[in-house]
Amino acid sequence: MKRKILAALLASTMILSLVGCGGNGGAASTDSAAPTEDAAPAEDAAPADDAAAPADDAAASTSGAGELTVWCWDPAFNLNAMYEAEKVYQKDHPDFKLNVVETPWDDIQTKITTAATSGDLSTLPDIFLMQDNAFQKNVISFPDVCADLTNSGIDFSQFAAGKTAYSVIDGKNYGVPFDNGAVVACYRTDYLEQAGLTVDDFTDITFDQYLENGKKVLEATGKPLISMQAGECDLIMMMMQSAGSSLFNEDGTANIVGNDTLKTVMETYKSLKDAGVLVEVNSWDEYVGSIVSGDVAGTINGCWIMASIQTAEDQSGNWAITNMPSLVGVSGATNYSNNGGSSWAVTTNCKDQALAADFLASTFAGSTELYDNILPSGALATWAPAGDSDAYGAPSDFFGGDAVSAKIVDFSTKVPSNITGVYYYEARNAVATAITNYINGADIDAEMQTAADTVNFNMGQ
Amino acid sequence: MSKSSKKLTLSKKHNLTGWAFLAPGAILILIMSFIPMIRALLLSFQSGVGAQMKPCGIMNYTRMFKDTVFIQSIKNTFFYLIIQVPVMLIFALILASILNNKDLKFKGLFRTMIFLPCATSLVAYAIIFRSLFANNGLVNLVLVNLGILDQPYSFLTNTTSARIVIIIALLWRWTGYNMVFYLSGLQNIEYSIYEAAKIDGASAVQSFFRITVPLLKPTILLTAIMSTNGTLQLFDESVNLTNGGPANTSITMSHYIYDMSFKYVPNFGYSAAMSFLILILVAILAFLQMKVGDKRD
Repeated sequence: MKRKILAALLASTMILSLVGCGGNGGAASTDSAAPTEDAAPAEDAAPADDAAAPADDAAASTSGAGELTVWCWDPAFNLNAMYEAEKVYQKDHPDFKLNVVETPWDDIQTKITTAATSGDLSTLPDIFLMQDNAFQKNVISFPDVCADLTNSGIDFSQFAAGKTAYSVIDGKNYGVPFDNGAVVACYRTDYLEQAGLTVDDFTDITFDQYLENGKKVLEATGKPLISMQAGECDLIMMMMQSAGSSLFNEDGTANIVGNDTLKTVMETYKSLKDAGVLVEVNSWDEYVGSIVSGDVAGTINGCWIMASIQTAEDQSGNWAITNMPSLVGVSGATNYSNNGGSSWAVTTNCKDQALAADFLASTFAGSTELYDNILPSGALATWAPAGDSDAYGAPSDFFGGDAVSAKIVDFSTKVPSNITGVYYYEARNAVATAITNYINGADIDAEMQTAADTVNFNMGQ
Repeated sequence: MSKSSKKLTLSKKHNLTGWAFLAPGAILILIMSFIPMIRALLLSFQSGVGAQMKPCGIMNYTRMFKDTVFIQSIKNTFFYLIIQVPVMLIFALILASILNNKDLKFKGLFRTMIFLPCATSLVAYAIIFRSLFANNGLVNLVLVNLGILDQPYSFLTNTTSARIVIIIALLWRWTGYNMVFYLSGLQNIEYSIYEAAKIDGASAVQSFFRITVPLLKPTILLTAIMSTNGTLQLFDESVNLTNGGPANTSITMSHYIYDMSFKYVPNFGYSAAMSFLILILVAILAFLQMKVGDKRD
């Protein structure tokens, strides 16, 4: 009897879970279907003038009513920005609604790939956020996914040129730039003090001086200056871009063998590692952990890293930011670079592209109010007019009362632009392999040759 | 008429019932498994970037033998296979025969504890192993505090230690799983055989090699094939524990295929071709193990 009851229970749980799965699936599909249906009436209303208008100003032709679905990944950061943008846009367009879905970038990438290869784009949202480094790859691999925004009424000239370049393919604009990835060097002022240094000793310096200072800090405090994730070459790419150098040439061919900047970068990286000034960790959480737990005296990364640093509230006032060191013996070396950042893209699945474009034009490309509202979350604008706002001059207590936002906007205007190329991730991994082997004693020229061979192999499909 | 149909139903009734039970499963497997496999096979003869595919003959298959990273990933996978599978199966066998002892107390508890790792999620346990072997992880902490090491050793950024960590993780995760198969196999061996051997003066080691191993041969064969298959498709550990590093020396075939499809500029034709190579390898290895292990005919 007991067994029978148990069996019946098991069977019913299985059936329930099956029903549950089916129910979820159903809900999900209606979810994704809803916006398209909702958008349909708006489309009915719009196309009449839409068809007539695009020549002069497509953006003005939309009624502003309707719902748009958006995918982005960080609740504290870009989701928040979208909610604020919705509020800003709703002031003039009360019938407008935004459906923001939290989707990690890796999932967005997988979903785009799946939708595009199956030829069924109906699962895609209206707007999604795309990593700048993946923009070229996705637009060229899946030309049907992203809508051309060149003549959509968005003024791209007001964005930092180096930033917009990520989403321009064949002279067409496919993305509205969003967050700033200008590189900042952050330092623990209390550690520097113990070594008799101040943050001024780290401003406008070269990597040679950085190494010397780093040795002093290591001696005085036992802390390395910087931690980096092993096998990821964030710092390498930042160093490369600081001198305006890329792993690709203008024509798309690999620029690895005979790239003197890359060689200098690799040698600099190894010298930092050998001196113990740079320590490698295994994973991203270990990297962030080493910063906030005080195991390192600083870091160099895109300015978005400041959001993670500020989670260590007990270290408030002990941090300062400045520009990154420059490479030695490289022409065009600067103290400015870029790492990360993302841009908004409109999909071709969007039923009311005029509405999507108008929404982006009057928020992320036209509202200082929006950028002021999202500034506290660390979302710094790449839209030039936002930098003039008073909010950007406000001092930050965490960073010793410095007006960090204005500083970063200033940095971002000085970043040399570079070429990401379609095969960015392949080249990045190949160089990461080369540098790991080089640190472990392999010959630098042979490793660069191997990296170039790997990239060329990947490109020859 | 009615007579003959009744006769037919009688003879066919069982068959029809059987088919009726088989059909739903078979149709689902056909739609969900075999049709995608055939589509993937067709895809492996095409090449191109993203959605723009063109037929290319067997180019994808010749291409992979020139791909240094893929060859590296094959070597890594076979390294795991050759070291990990035998060690794990031997461990599992030893544990199973210890836990099969009739006089052992708390048998259920021990069995549960050894099987439990198997119930953890692959990603979760890989991440736990990663933090265990981190520079400031538990293992380093213990080794430094015991005075065995002066400085924390970076396990995951050195090739040999990174591979060993992956193997340890695999052993921890899968030994219990295989042990359960052996335990169930051992239930079919009469305990009186062991008692008879004991009376004849056989030691524990002798009865293990002369009784347990020969009688468990079919189960050992099964676990060997399953483990080989599983190791060749190893993915989660490589992605989450070491991320393929350092310098691709711990990347597995499946991990590289994933990178090729979703991280790099997608080339699904080439990825499909590499997946079929894994299929062929699994088939060959399983065939060899059957030939070596199964002497019934």
